Amino acid sequence: MTELTTLTAVIIDDEAPARSLLREYLSAHPDVSIAAECANGYEAVKAAGELKPDLLLLDIQMPKLDGFEVLDLIGRDAANVIFTTAYDEYALRAFNVHAVDYLLKPFSAERLAESLVLARVRIRNREPVPVRELVATYREGSGLDRLLIRDRSNVHVIPVDQIDYIEAQDDYVSIRAAGRSYLKEQTLGELEQHLATKGFLRIHRRYILNVSRLARIELSQKDSRTAILKDNTELPISRSGYAKLRDLL
Amino acid sequence: MHPIFVDRRLLGFYLLGYLPVGALLIIGLGQHEAWGTAVVFFLPLTVVYAFIGLSAYYLCLAFPISGDFRPWRSIPAQMSAAATVGGLSVGIAWLWGALLQSLNIGLRTDLYLSQVWLMFVVGALLFWLAIAVHYILIASIASHRAERRALESGLLAREAELKALRAQLDPHFLFNSLNSISSLTTGDPASARRMCLLLADFLRDTLRLGATERISVREEVSVAQRYLAIEQVRLGSRLAASCTVSEEAQIARVPALILQPLIENAVMHGIAHLLDGGTISIRADSDGACLRIVVSNPVDSDRPRSKGAGLGLALVRQRLQSQLGTDGQLHAREEQGSFIAEVLIPYETSVPSGAS
Repeated sequence: MTELTTLTAVIIDDEAPARSLLREYLSAHPDVSIAAECANGYEAVKAAGELKPDLLLLDIQMPKLDGFEVLDLIGRDAANVIFTTAYDEYALRAFNVHAVDYLLKPFSAERLAESLVLARVRIRNREPVPVRELVATYREGSGLDRLLIRDRSNVHVIPVDQIDYIEAQDDYVSIRAAGRSYLKEQTLGELEQHLATKGFLRIHRRYILNVSRLARIELSQKDSRTAILKDNTELPISRSGYAKLRDLL
Repeated sequence: MHPIFVDRRLLGFYLLGYLPVGALLIIGLGQHEAWGTAVVFFLPLTVVYAFIGLSAYYLCLAFPISGDFRPWRSIPAQMSAAATVGGLSVGIAWLWGALLQSLNIGLRTDLYLSQVWLMFVVGALLFWLAIAVHYILIASIASHRAERRALESGLLAREAELKALRAQLDPHFLFNSLNSISSLTTGDPASARRMCLLLADFLRDTLRLGATERISVREEVSVAQRYLAIEQVRLGSRLAASCTVSEEAQIARVPALILQPLIENAVMHGIAHLLDGGTISIRADSDGACLRIVVSNPVDSDRPRSKGAGLGLALVRQRLQSQLGTDGQLHAREEQGSFIAEVLIPYETSVPSGAS
């Protein structure tokens, strides 16, 4: 006899028929209880933060926030994810990180049951969810167009071209954009990769600069330079950062 | 080459077909005390006749039975060929008979050696038979080929239709619709059936209209409405549609499915990105010289720009260009949270405007 531990799931899909299909399929699994149903990414981020479910059944194409962005925002609270989508172009990337299952619409009840078996094993073994890898593989090659920041239950969407610079702060990064600062749980190295093609440069161990914001470079001491931004902010430039800047300009 | 040599089995059947001929010759021309002679004499001859008969194929090809078949031209040629074969048959029979005679094994081939006219008639008649058989063979090959051609051209046409469909239809639309149907099956079977029918009608329209050049705005709009009805099942209250077509515009002719990509765009890149959705409005009017169709929809100004965006517009532009040259235009713009696509083409109805 296997012990029945209840598993909480959140259904996230902007289409009502798709949600009701999942509800119907899940009704055959008494060990899975549906904690919430969300019709968009904002609701999903909120529900994931409040309910901390074991499992997300997540659509990818949704208004405002797509499935990967939802995952990105949920971050630490991320549960195991089963993607449900009619699009197969992300499937390979999702499988490459071995974190999730990927159901192509329309799918059968049996197919869902199979992925639930996988999910139960992962949940029982408390395997961590590699959200970062998932999101990173999704972004692969395309770069970032906007940054998403969760601030309690609020979600801020910051277009990349509004960002002045990003500063590393312990486990977080502080993003300076349009006169405000936002904290995001991410490493500077990751952001550097995503923003490399968008006109951003790592000028210092602790700073990424939007190069278009640069007004001038000043030599502050011997061998030590400072970037002066258009709004007169001063940022330190490391030696290797200066070499990269010089190559670029 | 003669088609019979292509397949060994065919050749086998052909030779088997000559067996009764040989039997007839033996029974009809054999003599009471000399059955053995008849068998030894006629059976090999029949085989020889069979192979000579194959040459009738080329004669039949030279005078094919087709629309302008002229018997008075083919019959003299065939008769002279039959006579030649008759003569040949006399010669072969004489040589064969003489050979058998010289073996001295008690065969009485002298019975046939004297009957020159008989051998002539047998050879000539068998050749006529071969001509008849070959006409049948040629006809059956031709009908086979025609059948295959018809099948092939049918397949090609279907393939072209499917290609057109693929170019115009986003496959995800189908997958999502099927998922909706799958979802409705248990809870709301009537809706599931309605959705199946809508989808079938829409697909049929898309296939049928892909082939024709121009249709009326009324037909075009009804295809679009069917598409929207299907998407409404999926998107629910998020998708609304309004349609205003002036009476004059109703009967105007447009390139088939010119509107469809614009509507698809409006749903996929417009409504689907809005939390609360919105209304897609279709307007068509005319000043008598120019037909104007406008599709507008609300958009999320900071939606992610996907690769697919603009593909539908490019498709419409390309079709307008190829069918109307510079007379057909598409203007697309985004202003104040709305996306507006405007098609301008010369006003034309199926009935020339001068006719009463």
